Amino acid sequence: MNLKSERRGIHVDQSELLCKKGCGYYGNPAWQGFCSKCWREEYHKARQKQIQEDWELAERLQREEEEAYASSQSTQGAQSLTFSKFEEKKTNEKTRKVTTVKKFFTASSRTGAKKVAQEKIIKQGQLGRERNADNILRDLKEIFTPSWELASPTEAEIQEAKAPSPSINRQVSIETDRVSKEFIEFLKTYHKPGQDIYKQCKLFLDTMNHKKDLSIEEQSECAQDFYQNVAEKLQTRWKVSPEKVEKAMDQIEKFIMTRQYKYVFCPETTDDEKKDLAVQKRIRALHWVTPQMLCVPVNEEIPEVSDMVVKAITDIIEMDSKRVPRDKLACITKCSKHIFNAIKITKNEPASADDFLPTLIYIVLKGNPPRLQSNIQYITRFCNPSRLMTGEDGYYFTNLCCAVAFIEKLDAQSLNLSQEDFDRYMSGQTSPKKQESDSWSPDMCVGVKQMYKNLDLLYQLNERQERIVSEAKKLEKDLIDWTDGITKEVQDIVEKYPLEIKPKNQALAAIDSENVENDKLPPPLQPQVYAG
Amino acid sequence: MAGTSLDRTHPTYIYKVVLLGSTSVGKSSLAYRYVKNDFKESLPTMGCAFLTQTLCLEAATVRLEIWDTAGQEKYHSVCHLYYRGAHAALLVYDITSKETLSRAKLWLQELEKEFLHDEIVIALVGNKTDLMAEREVTTEEGEEFAKSKNLLYMETSAKSNYHVSEVFTAVAQELVAREGEKAAVQRPAPTDLQEPRGSGPRCCQL
Repeated sequence: MNLKSERRGIHVDQSELLCKKGCGYYGNPAWQGFCSKCWREEYHKARQKQIQEDWELAERLQREEEEAYASSQSTQGAQSLTFSKFEEKKTNEKTRKVTTVKKFFTASSRTGAKKVAQEKIIKQGQLGRERNADNILRDLKEIFTPSWELASPTEAEIQEAKAPSPSINRQVSIETDRVSKEFIEFLKTYHKPGQDIYKQCKLFLDTMNHKKDLSIEEQSECAQDFYQNVAEKLQTRWKVSPEKVEKAMDQIEKFIMTRQYKYVFCPETTDDEKKDLAVQKRIRALHWVTPQMLCVPVNEEIPEVSDMVVKAITDIIEMDSKRVPRDKLACITKCSKHIFNAIKITKNEPASADDFLPTLIYIVLKGNPPRLQSNIQYITRFCNPSRLMTGEDGYYFTNLCCAVAFIEKLDAQSLNLSQEDFDRYMSGQTSPKKQESDSWSPDMCVGVKQMYKNLDLLYQLNERQERIVSEAKKLEKDLIDWTDGITKEVQDIVEKYPLEIKPKNQALAAIDSENVENDKLPPPLQPQVYAG
Repeated sequence: MAGTSLDRTHPTYIYKVVLLGSTSVGKSSLAYRYVKNDFKESLPTMGCAFLTQTLCLEAATVRLEIWDTAGQEKYHSVCHLYYRGAHAALLVYDITSKETLSRAKLWLQELEKEFLHDEIVIALVGNKTDLMAEREVTTEEGEEFAKSKNLLYMETSAKSNYHVSEVFTAVAQELVAREGEKAAVQRPAPTDLQEPRGSGPRCCQL
């Protein structure tokens, strides 16, 4: 297999513009419109300046650090540190503490990191006080010793790898360990070329360790060169058959990228993270897009189809969890197969690209896979290029790139909407789903249907409640009116027939005096005795 | 390939062929018919968006990887991603619709922007000859345009299986012929490695 012709893989964001410097070569937006050569020149100038600034900053921090250590007991060890050690640190491995300082050497978030790092250094100083001098000395030595001094000799034999060299494996995870073991097992079937492959991989990893300060594009180039060289060597020098070369290349990629992943995936020197967030936000803003708008030939009412859709979404989300570019591609392929199945079940005929791309777009919108741009960039930069240019995996990956590009550019026209509707949906004023809730209900899942039913019920209850409240109020008013009415009536009657009460005593004492006609009355009869 | 060893005399090439054209001109049907006819047993179970077909020509064994593309107009702006690194392109139009031919011309302009002339084999394909009665584009019209742009030209019918495998074979032969020319001229490899277009065919010596 001749890989020479495909040296550089594909650059997804390549535009047609010529280099801004007018040198006649093509430029690349990733290099701000320069060609590789002019960009490197420009970049070096800027970088030189950056390094100068960083040095000054580092020098100041160094002083601060020394002061912090000086206050601890370990003055000796700290003072023996000179600034020149910082140079070594640049090529040093990322240990916990170096990461802190290393942040200052990256272009992005420099000012923000400043404060944090200062705090960290102060904290370390405080911690230092509690430790004894020997401990700190040892720690410092560890930090400032370049990795190649710690590393065991590079002449690594296959057996030796079982006791991995500290330079690479100091921080290896269980997964990395497992991958290494598998790789060694695999290489044993290749005999002599296997040993050679292993040596070359180790050498490459060591080189990459020292090249961490290079831009990600340059690192990508190194990896692509490495893939190509190994493949060529296997083919020409060891006369390995093309199938076996391909197999070996897959394993090599797995071995290398498992180790390189954390350094080259979404590195802070690029704006990958910013792009990730932008895409994520964009997809979130497009939550209202329905399959109808995209003309997706998938009917989610069919349980089998909705099952496929869910699986496809799971696959595309799972991509982020993989470390090896090829595994990520496999996730995309799996997702695509599920999409094809969904279309096939719905339409009852094999899907064409006219059906596939809209559905993939719909799946991406529905799933909002994490770190989409970073993943695409990572695959583009570090996947074996032959996988991307041709083959099924490459086809589906290209489709995913198309889908993302489409989502970024998506406008009213591409959804067959009027500009006003599009703007209203984008601003969240209305949602197409609410308007069409009646015609839409069959599409919704059971839970949403139940929710709408419950909402209706709640509305009814609310109405009844209000009616009761208003009636209660009326009753209350009636009651008050009635009491008032009664009171008034009683008062009227009282006024009409005033009650006169005569003095009680008078009446009793002069019960006779009042009797005016008393005089006219004949004298009371006196008892007389009659003899009879 | 001017090699002397046995396996070099009959190399295997892998070529990427993109199908371009509006919706419903029959891009997918064309590819489907081509693959289906020759290999009944290995029918694509899923879809016909990505298909492969191996051809045994005199000079070499050729594996064509056929990439179907979404033809809807709204995806036009992203489709340039599809034909990156392609070795051949089939511009398909519908002979019963003049509009599809003008869309095919648009595609050609896009391709001319992306590729140098000798980097890609382009074939103009007028599909649906079974609908002769509704023909809007004459054979001469298509032929003339193809000639002026130096394209391969053929009229086909995916439905009645007319000239389907012929068109793919013609493309494959042209690709292999160019491979031979390249080897004869022994052109130096492109020096600017950032150039995305310097991608020649992959070649497997079996």
